[in-house]
Amino acid sequence: MESLQLLLDGFATALTPVNLLYALAGVTLGTIVGVLPGIGPAMTVALLLPVTFSVPPASAFIMFAGIYYGGMYGGSTTSILLNTPGESSSMITALEGNKMARRGRAAQALATAAIGSFVAGTIATALLVVAAPLVVDFAISFGPEDYFALAVLAFTAVSSVLSRSVVRGLASLGFGLVIGLIGIDEQTGQARLTLGVPQLLGGIEVVVVAVGLFAMGEALYVASRLRHGEPEVIPVGRAFLGRSDWSRSWRPWLRGTALGFPFGALPGGGAEIPTFLSYSVEKRLARGVAREEYGTGAIEGVAGPEAANNASAAGTLVPLLTLGLPTSATAAILLAAFQQYGLQPGPQLFDHNPALVWGMIASLFLGNAMLLVLNLPLAPLWAKVLHVPRPYLYAGIVLFAALGVYALNASWIDLVVLYVLGLLGFAMRRFGLPIAPAVIGMILGPMAEIQLRRALAIGAGDATVLVRSPIAAAILAVAFLVLFIPFARKALAGRTRNE
Amino acid sequence: MSSSHEAPRSSPEPENGSAVPDPSASPMRDTAADPSGAPVRDSAADPSGAPARTAGASGGGSSGWGWRRPELVLALTVLGLGVFVIVGTADVTAAGSALGLGPRFFPVLVGSAMSLIGVFYVLDVLRGGHGDPEEAEDVDASAPADWKAVALVSVIFLAFAGLVDLLGWIIAGALLFFGLSVTLGAAHRLRAGAVAIILSTASYLAFVKGLGVTLPAGLLSGVI
Repeated sequence: MESLQLLLDGFATALTPVNLLYALAGVTLGTIVGVLPGIGPAMTVALLLPVTFSVPPASAFIMFAGIYYGGMYGGSTTSILLNTPGESSSMITALEGNKMARRGRAAQALATAAIGSFVAGTIATALLVVAAPLVVDFAISFGPEDYFALAVLAFTAVSSVLSRSVVRGLASLGFGLVIGLIGIDEQTGQARLTLGVPQLLGGIEVVVVAVGLFAMGEALYVASRLRHGEPEVIPVGRAFLGRSDWSRSWRPWLRGTALGFPFGALPGGGAEIPTFLSYSVEKRLARGVAREEYGTGAIEGVAGPEAANNASAAGTLVPLLTLGLPTSATAAILLAAFQQYGLQPGPQLFDHNPALVWGMIASLFLGNAMLLVLNLPLAPLWAKVLHVPRPYLYAGIVLFAALGVYALNASWIDLVVLYVLGLLGFAMRRFGLPIAPAVIGMILGPMAEIQLRRALAIGAGDATVLVRSPIAAAILAVAFLVLFIPFARKALAGRTRNE
Repeated sequence: MSSSHEAPRSSPEPENGSAVPDPSASPMRDTAADPSGAPVRDSAADPSGAPARTAGASGGGSSGWGWRRPELVLALTVLGLGVFVIVGTADVTAAGSALGLGPRFFPVLVGSAMSLIGVFYVLDVLRGGHGDPEEAEDVDASAPADWKAVALVSVIFLAFAGLVDLLGWIIAGALLFFGLSVTLGAAHRLRAGAVAIILSTASYLAFVKGLGVTLPAGLLSGVI
């Protein structure tokens, strides 16, 4: 099989001593930053982007893969050991995981999360190896109208799925699209929405937007209502699983993987829905001890969602690498990282840069194994990170956000832009607007515009060209229907409540 | 993972219980049920801008026909931004290729969509709809907002932005960290100062000497 050969070549790239070091540095940094409360995977990747500025592309992406997976592992440690509600992707893990920890089973909760993540990550990465070439073969014939339709689908899906209020999701998307418009129009050289500020001619960089909305926004939001008092961190020893825990965990791991991978690959899917689904599936399937323990710390409720979480991370890489389509905020930032090196993910990337793509995929396998080794024995060390005094934590987040942004162009204007975006992020958090649509809109908006103009140019101004391809028409129809998901969900919820 | 900020909301809405029957009854719902009528009827009630000042007052109720709700400012920002995009690109005139579209086509599309969303958003806020304030590990969602801390953080950060070139990364960064950590409640100032100096110096050395990133030396140029 051809992709197997390519994967072996990828391992040859990833297994050089230098790249192994980069992978190790990536997973370690990713875990440390991911463990920090208040920092989710997307912010982890955005904050660590500057570290890769001076690294050659292949190594940079190997490091990135490590950061991405490391951030996911780190997040689960936080939600299990810290007795406060956290970010949503790991919130489900916290439901049972935190209760397990408080009953003195923190070591088992962390172990099933880590091993489950490893199992899910490995299987899902293998699925990525199988699926990516198939999607590439399919996508090679895509025209601009198909890519435009895909972008529209990503827009509507991420806006409606992530938010209970469609209008707020769309408002967030709108902010992103408007930010993406700023700067010189590539096709005609005209300046748009630059307000006469020359520094804005090049547009606002994705790093500034992501760091502003996530890090700066979070710092301001925390400043406005900081939880006072010592955080309660549950002490933990070396993470391990007993025999009965193994037998209770392996099925939820596999089911979680099966749920996580396809949802991760779908626009708007992300990690939230599969983790939630996995939690309810395990709850429904629980028998015997598990049934009694559900709600007070059942290991199945940690094993399944954690596996789903990591499998979805691999799933998001399928559309990202093969179509250049980010389905989550983290993927959007990864896409920005590719563009920083002048690379455009898509079918061509597999043709032109096979060493880079397959090296990255191979390093996902390696990073996963490294993370397992890092997480089981070192759990007590990560738990210590949770004790960081919060004033230092958020001051540090802002310092490193400023560093990353300043390092781009050595311009103080970027810092002011960062602050303004931080204010926007603050307002969005306060009023419950999801952040992901803004990040995706910002990065995918300009690409959607290019494809739209290209398609309409081919159609000589005839708008029906956009639906002439059956693929594009079908995708656009789905994109429209997706907007009604929240209403359907509400209706469904209302009916179950009435029963 | 990623979006890291939203969850499948299955729990009942917090606060705002009885006054409003369905807090998330967004106008979009009307479009779902009745694509033709709703938007027209709604836009008649469009409050276009006027209540922005009153809504600026902090606090603000969260129920009823909320003309004083702070979220209205954000909703009006969406609407205003949409209009601004349309108006602000009026000077963009270059003709595209003969067949293609000019540089203004997409902005007008985005601006129109954004204005439409803004109108729906304003109406939703006025009807008492709201999203869920985001939950995070270190946020006490029920605490009253501490505007003084937000203002101080803002001042410190903007001062940092203005002074970083002059003072250099190490000094400005240390001041930024020290100021923010004290604002956020660091108990020991001396320790905060020490951590600030160590962090800014270490980050400078790591990024400039180690990774080859350019950061300003400022007052310390020559010393370091």
